[in-house]
Amino acid sequence: MEELSYVGKSVPRKDGVEKATGRALYTVDMVLPGMLWGKILRSPYPHAKILRIDTSRAEKLPGVKAVITGKDTLGIKHGFVETPRYPPDQYPLAMDRVRHIGEEIAAVAAIDEYVAEEALNLIQVDYEELPAVFDPEEAMKPEAPEIHPSHPKVKEPYKNIGGKTESGWGNVEKGFAESYLVREDRFEGQLRTHCYMEPQATLASFDLSGKLNVWTSSQGPFIKRAKLATTLGLPFSNVRVLKAYVGGAYGGKIDLFSHEFCASLLSIEARRPVKIVCTREEVFESARHGQPILVELKTGVKKDGTLVAQQVRVINNSGAYRGSGVVVIFLCWGFVMLCYRIPNLKYEGYSVYTNNPVRAPQRGHGAPNLRFAVESQMDTIAEELGIDPVEIRLKNARQKGDILPNEDSVRNCGLVECIERAAEATRFKEIYGKRKSQEGQRIRRGIGMGVSSYFSGSLIYPNTSAAIVKLNDDGTVSLLTGALDIGQGAETILCQIVAEELGVSMDDIRVVAADTETTPVDIGAWISGGAYVSGNAVKMAASDARRQLFEVAAQKLEANPEDLIAKNREISVKGIPGRSISFTQAVAESITKRRGNPIIGQGHFRTMKDIPAHPSLATTKGRWSDNYAFDAQVAEVEVDMETGQVKLVKATTAHDCGFPINPLLVEGQIDGQVSMAQGHALWEEVLMKKGKTLTTSFLDYKIPCAKDLVESHYIDVITERYEKDAPYRTKEVGEGYVSGMVAAIANAVYDATGVRVKTFPILPEKILMGLKEKGDK
Amino acid sequence: MKKQLIELRVNGESFELAVEPQKTLLEVVREDLGLTGAKEACGTGECGACTVLIDGKPILSCLTLAIEAQGKKITTIEGLAKNSDLHPLQKAFIRYGAIQCGYCTSGMILNAKSILDENPKPSRDEILKGLEGNLCRCTGYNKILEAVMAASTGED
Repeated sequence: MEELSYVGKSVPRKDGVEKATGRALYTVDMVLPGMLWGKILRSPYPHAKILRIDTSRAEKLPGVKAVITGKDTLGIKHGFVETPRYPPDQYPLAMDRVRHIGEEIAAVAAIDEYVAEEALNLIQVDYEELPAVFDPEEAMKPEAPEIHPSHPKVKEPYKNIGGKTESGWGNVEKGFAESYLVREDRFEGQLRTHCYMEPQATLASFDLSGKLNVWTSSQGPFIKRAKLATTLGLPFSNVRVLKAYVGGAYGGKIDLFSHEFCASLLSIEARRPVKIVCTREEVFESARHGQPILVELKTGVKKDGTLVAQQVRVINNSGAYRGSGVVVIFLCWGFVMLCYRIPNLKYEGYSVYTNNPVRAPQRGHGAPNLRFAVESQMDTIAEELGIDPVEIRLKNARQKGDILPNEDSVRNCGLVECIERAAEATRFKEIYGKRKSQEGQRIRRGIGMGVSSYFSGSLIYPNTSAAIVKLNDDGTVSLLTGALDIGQGAETILCQIVAEELGVSMDDIRVVAADTETTPVDIGAWISGGAYVSGNAVKMAASDARRQLFEVAAQKLEANPEDLIAKNREISVKGIPGRSISFTQAVAESITKRRGNPIIGQGHFRTMKDIPAHPSLATTKGRWSDNYAFDAQVAEVEVDMETGQVKLVKATTAHDCGFPINPLLVEGQIDGQVSMAQGHALWEEVLMKKGKTLTTSFLDYKIPCAKDLVESHYIDVITERYEKDAPYRTKEVGEGYVSGMVAAIANAVYDATGVRVKTFPILPEKILMGLKEKGDK
Repeated sequence: MKKQLIELRVNGESFELAVEPQKTLLEVVREDLGLTGAKEACGTGECGACTVLIDGKPILSCLTLAIEAQGKKITTIEGLAKNSDLHPLQKAFIRYGAIQCGYCTSGMILNAKSILDENPKPSRDEILKGLEGNLCRCTGYNKILEAVMAASTGED
């Protein structure tokens, strides 16, 4: 096999110097001449009619340049999902009703933040409060206040149903009847949040030609452009979203946010650039958090632990609008069926409106909650059957070549190897189940395993990625990609691919990225398809450029293009040392000396290219993804039996990501997910009371700090490889590994204490309560 | 409020500025001096993203008034590299993958510098203790620890 020079190597990140020296410009750093500051007025009520809005006093305040309310908009709704079944349901500025605290009512642009803030105080809004409901199961009851009418296709007499997913196969009733053991459990996820360090921020500048230029802290410019243009009533081409560095996102900056719309409309009204930077408090109170999910899980197994039937009911508290709620109830089906073979399945998921802020994907998008439920119950079943956790997982694990019920193939699934290698590396079987021998000790150790799987790109707008690779006559290469580096290292891996294909060095490549005007379309950094979809588009563009260059070089070298290779900035004839020309010379030969072909390589790549659309969110029918990543993760914890404090001591991740394009970046992704899993499983929770957020700072909402560092080990299970001249298959690595780890932590806590906590986070008091109930100490 | 004339010494240069007395050092370095490496992530002293050095000690510039910083030696991330020669910590952060989104990086590196200046051979726990006020949501701190350890052994 051909030896690779860049792909598969731990190349330092391309933007390292800019970031290490403080030169990288984030949206919050952007300033334009004449720039105004925008601020947003938000609803203090969880549910109310807006009777009247009087902005006249605000408009008269010196320094105020524009004030907008819902009636200054076109009244066009938007949504995370916009399909015939799930039409958009959210106005960018409230019209006549607010449905959650923090909902955007008006916005102001002024010469500075103080004036803008003062102007908000001068806006008079008269409300009529309406009854509100916050708990999803309460909201489903017939007597609950109606936030939106239930979805017309939902037949049950439930209120406030934003969406439903139903799926299954076989006959679960028959399956349960034939099972040796049937267990029913209920698991509750908490409301957690992203805590991206850069707050939500947007700078919009409407120029006199009628073009709106937007810098925004996001996860990809193309979806932002589409939703901004639609809600503002502008042609797509009149909205240009440009690159800025992004200070973290983790799922929280994907679709349209009202501050982006407001900055844009204010700029259009004031004819000046307008910047809105949300405060941390605003982010906690009003921005979209993750999805809190309830899972009711009934599972039947044979005596040897083989799964026979599973019935899953998921209820998602989607907040006041659909947000990604109707996606997460589809995804939860996927996260049930991917890891284990289930002969009979009945799945139903409900997304329920409540008077809480809207919810967004957060790293794993449902998978952490779902795997917490399934893996916790799996361990309980194993214990009741006297089987160890590794064996029961191996017995049920997906196998290479399995065809999923939606006809996707997991042809290269490395789950079995992940489980085996994670168990072996951690000496799982030796350490597990030593609760008895630790009796009387204050600090007890436990070990637990969790497995999970995640898709790698799917078909949600813009579905595809394209790229341009331009060769310059000084021998440098320009890569034009719509991909946005949000810290995951997109630009770095894309440059590695270009360097590999063209035989140039990383330093020879300049990247122009994430600009809807100058770079081609890109799938975005939010659907776990970057390395696979954008990467293959770039690979095709680079090999197209190489093909054109080889035609020129072949003439010069009097050889066949097929016999040429590009390496170390040279093009040479295979097997004939010395017969070569430099890369620079060959490019110059083409551009300036002969024919004038400047050599512009193009490529595009779409996952599941012959499939027209994403699978049905209602029935789960249809192809979902080309590639699925798998992992088995092991957590080792120490529990203080007197205080209930849990310390995650060691995390081991055995994962099948296809192959790592950059192992250093992959390790960074794993560490970050382990850290997020630690916070998610053990302490993070957004606390709310009657729709009001109580945790509005990093003191109230603690995320892991340096002292919480977890020793992190990695095992790469390689199932794919990179070859020149063919698309490659690789899998996602950015968000699937939160879920195996949260499940592993829950199982490790049980192993240490004998307490099975079924609600996240696993707070000390829950463990102490459990110990008390057991009469243990 | 009426502006006051102040003089700040930042990264070895002196600047005369007219600032409102309530302006924070973070606002002044970012908005008046254009040194945007120091970041605001919370504005209330909880995250460390705004860390700069005053007389070599890390401070939270979002909780420090600019007028308080007069007559002191202020170092921001922009002052760390000598011309194009990066500080060993900057090099180590890049080499060890200690940077992802990069938003916390400026504060993290400056705080790490103050740790190493005070104790050139800190233990693992001393580094982690020293950095616990700098939040990072991307890395889990593993690679940051490796980078600071590497810089402390004189790796360049």
